[in-house]
Amino acid sequence: MKRESVIFTFSGQFVVDSFLAFARHRAARLDMPLAILSSDETAISLAVEGQVDLVDAFEMACSLGPHDCIVLEAESSTATPELFEHRNERMNQ
Amino acid sequence: MNFEGWYPLLLVADVGPKKAVGTRVQGKEFVLWRDSHGSTHVWEDRCPHRGMKMSLGFVRGDHIACLYHGWEYDRGGQCQYIPAHPDLDVPQTIKIPRYPVIEAGSIVWACFQEPDSELPPFLELPSPSCGFKSIFADCPASRVAELIEKTPFNGVAPKVTAKSDRVLEIVLEGGTLTAAVQDVCEGHMAMHMSFDRFKASADQIPYSIWADQLRRDLETAARDIKTSEFAA
Repeated sequence: MKRESVIFTFSGQFVVDSFLAFARHRAARLDMPLAILSSDETAISLAVEGQVDLVDAFEMACSLGPHDCIVLEAESSTATPELFEHRNERMNQ
Repeated sequence: MNFEGWYPLLLVADVGPKKAVGTRVQGKEFVLWRDSHGSTHVWEDRCPHRGMKMSLGFVRGDHIACLYHGWEYDRGGQCQYIPAHPDLDVPQTIKIPRYPVIEAGSIVWACFQEPDSELPPFLELPSPSCGFKSIFADCPASRVAELIEKTPFNGVAPKVTAKSDRVLEIVLEGGTLTAAVQDVCEGHMAMHMSFDRFKASADQIPYSIWADQLRRDLETAARDIKTSEFAA
């Protein structure tokens, strides 16, 4: 199946730690690398890479989110693999 | 939740070919299922997708499929097929936790921690053909041994000996039962009974009637204990 790298920006009302823990758990379950690009109480931006259907599943899960967060809008754009790899490297340092 | 050693779950005869059955131990839910080769599996009773009980699913050969969206898992607990995404290479991370299982005597046993190097003390259990009956009662598992003697068989009190903390020997007139006690959850127990030797169905009838009475007596006694503890 075709693979893709996608940046998702979720807007709404967030308990940041809760949402990021949720996203990490879902990405791990779907076996996809995850990079956290930015996060605050109104918007969180993430990048994932994987099979198209799994990326869709990740977006759906995060659109629902954990019980203490409200996602009002989700936008997606294509991520460049370089950006994604760079962010992963930074996270691992 | 602390698990230690091997736990009795069911009579071997009660998990038929290509069947899935749900059970609980100390409140945690498990599914037992038997594949087309006759092997028994004990897993966490939860599909990783939407949390549906796998015990409500369908056994298809060597796979078990979730009732909800049909996700299929192989004998290793690994999801192999998602009907809504037939072309997907299913990630190795979509997997159901599974536990060591063994059929010993007439009972299916499972271990929910790191497998013990020592097998449980069931080597002298009756053979599978001696499996008799399981009863389920609203009674704490810890009180069962002391309460059984209060249900007479043919007017005589049973003689109960604890062979281990989960296995009782119950001597009745004309027959001896081995009873494996399952702590289902707080205030609830199951007891899986076997005869010490093969007994024809017709000969089991009086013991079956006694077992039904035992279940009623256990529940009555448990209610009385609870009431007296509350009053105190």
